[in-house]
Amino acid sequence: MVSKTEETQLNRLENQVDNGGGGAWEYLCLVRKLKVRRSEKVLKYGLSILNDLKKRSGLGSEEWTLYEQVAIAAMDCQSLDVAKDCIRLLRKAFPESKRVGRLEAMLLEAKGSWAEAEKAYSSFLEENPLDQVIHKRRVAMAKAQGNISGAIEGLNKYLEIFMADHDAWRELAEIYVSLQMYKQAAFCYEELILSQPTVPLHHLAYADVLYTLGGLENLQTAKKYYASVIDLTGGKNTRALFGINLNVLTPAFQCTSAIGQLAKGRNKEDKESLELQSLAATALEKDYKQRAPEKLSLLSTALKSLKVSS
Amino acid sequence: MAADLVLDTAIRDWVLIPLSVVMVLIGVLRYFVSKLMRSNQVPDAKIVKEGQLIIRARNLRAAANFIPPKSFRARRLYYNNEENGLLIVPKGQAQNPQAQMFSDPNMAMDMMKKNLSMIIPQTLTFAWVNFFFSGFVAAKIPFPLTQRFRSMLQNGIDLSTVDVSYVSSRSWYFLNLFGLRGLFSLILGEENAMDDTQKMMQMSGFGFDPSKSLGAEKDSLDIVQHDWALPKFEHRAEAVLRELAR
Repeated sequence: MVSKTEETQLNRLENQVDNGGGGAWEYLCLVRKLKVRRSEKVLKYGLSILNDLKKRSGLGSEEWTLYEQVAIAAMDCQSLDVAKDCIRLLRKAFPESKRVGRLEAMLLEAKGSWAEAEKAYSSFLEENPLDQVIHKRRVAMAKAQGNISGAIEGLNKYLEIFMADHDAWRELAEIYVSLQMYKQAAFCYEELILSQPTVPLHHLAYADVLYTLGGLENLQTAKKYYASVIDLTGGKNTRALFGINLNVLTPAFQCTSAIGQLAKGRNKEDKESLELQSLAATALEKDYKQRAPEKLSLLSTALKSLKVSS
Repeated sequence: MAADLVLDTAIRDWVLIPLSVVMVLIGVLRYFVSKLMRSNQVPDAKIVKEGQLIIRARNLRAAANFIPPKSFRARRLYYNNEENGLLIVPKGQAQNPQAQMFSDPNMAMDMMKKNLSMIIPQTLTFAWVNFFFSGFVAAKIPFPLTQRFRSMLQNGIDLSTVDVSYVSSRSWYFLNLFGLRGLFSLILGEENAMDDTQKMMQMSGFGFDPSKSLGAEKDSLDIVQHDWALPKFEHRAEAVLRELAR
């Protein structure tokens, strides 16, 4: 996760570099440290440093790190020739290195020679079965080939050992959602909430999955998680506000709670959630008024239709 | 206090400066030697897995209140059930690190190497300093100090009448031994600087027994009271929205 201060720093540096203010190397270092994906910029500015002999020699041994960074960025941008050149230079400098071998395998992957890349990766894994990066590359490769079940299998195997890796859990959750396997996805999102309980995005995704699953209990839980997103974001998350609206006004929710109305406690909870819904609706209206006044009418009709249908 | 001692400039040239230079050189040399001897060991899959498992179980314990009760109970059962829970270590399998060390000669070898690279130069330099430089008053600190600093600064001279601000040669050696970290991080790069105090800490961290910490984690997970925090969030969200609507 990139924290707020780091993000502002990154944006500031990017702005500065974009406008020709220098500091390209610092920018590249920050990108590498935060592991953000700005491949085009990295390619552009990294190459400009590498092509400038004076600047390049000023880096000392960091030069090779930059070559690696640029090579990966180039693969991401499909400038395979650049990547190839970088890797060739790295190979010359480190003839025995496994790290360069990994880059070569990635180049194969970028070219689309899946079988060869797979062979290279498995030979690496034989040497060191605990190489996280290579496990992840294999999953990515399976996904790129459209072999979703293979990707799931790989991720599950990976998570069996590295079960505290929340990025892998998130990837798995997203894959499950794309396959409409919501129960499994819900489990993954629970795992994510456990490892990062204060990240509202996980709560939101979990609530979405629960809402999609349906059923009274899940709907009620989903409502709670939407509420927690509202709390964690200070009511700034439009999706969560809509979520509350949809959720409380869902016909199923209303119906079943009408049955349960005999119990007094239920009744009270219902009222509360209706109140929460109306509050969310006003917050939404206010937000729309401020940021997209021309769409306000759409919003009010949508909200009205929800109310009518319930 | 007695009158000021006058320190011979020869002491500066032949004790103080050589001692510091030698300490720096030894530090650099040791860095390269340990780099040469470091074996690139592949961590054991089981140990990695146990470490990750402990992190995950700890996360579950810390954030238990953020997931629904049903999910929490399912997870606790997954970790703690008597038959095949993840945190249960079968009784026979729990091996103590000592036995493990004997069964795996590599481990003992690594320990030896680490020890060698640390202890041998240290004893040698200490003996060297003791032999050549014992008993010198090598430097004077430009400010007065209390008596408590005597054992730190005047190691090796047993004179209680000497002012505390004088530093003996042996103490100068110790000050260098523990205080050169900043200089090493300049010379060798940020993460390579490792002074002896840190190394000693690492040493004492050895003998860590994963099965024990698994058991401890299981016990603490057993007594976690699940109290779902989410219902409270609804009220808080309401308050937030009210604030916003105002």
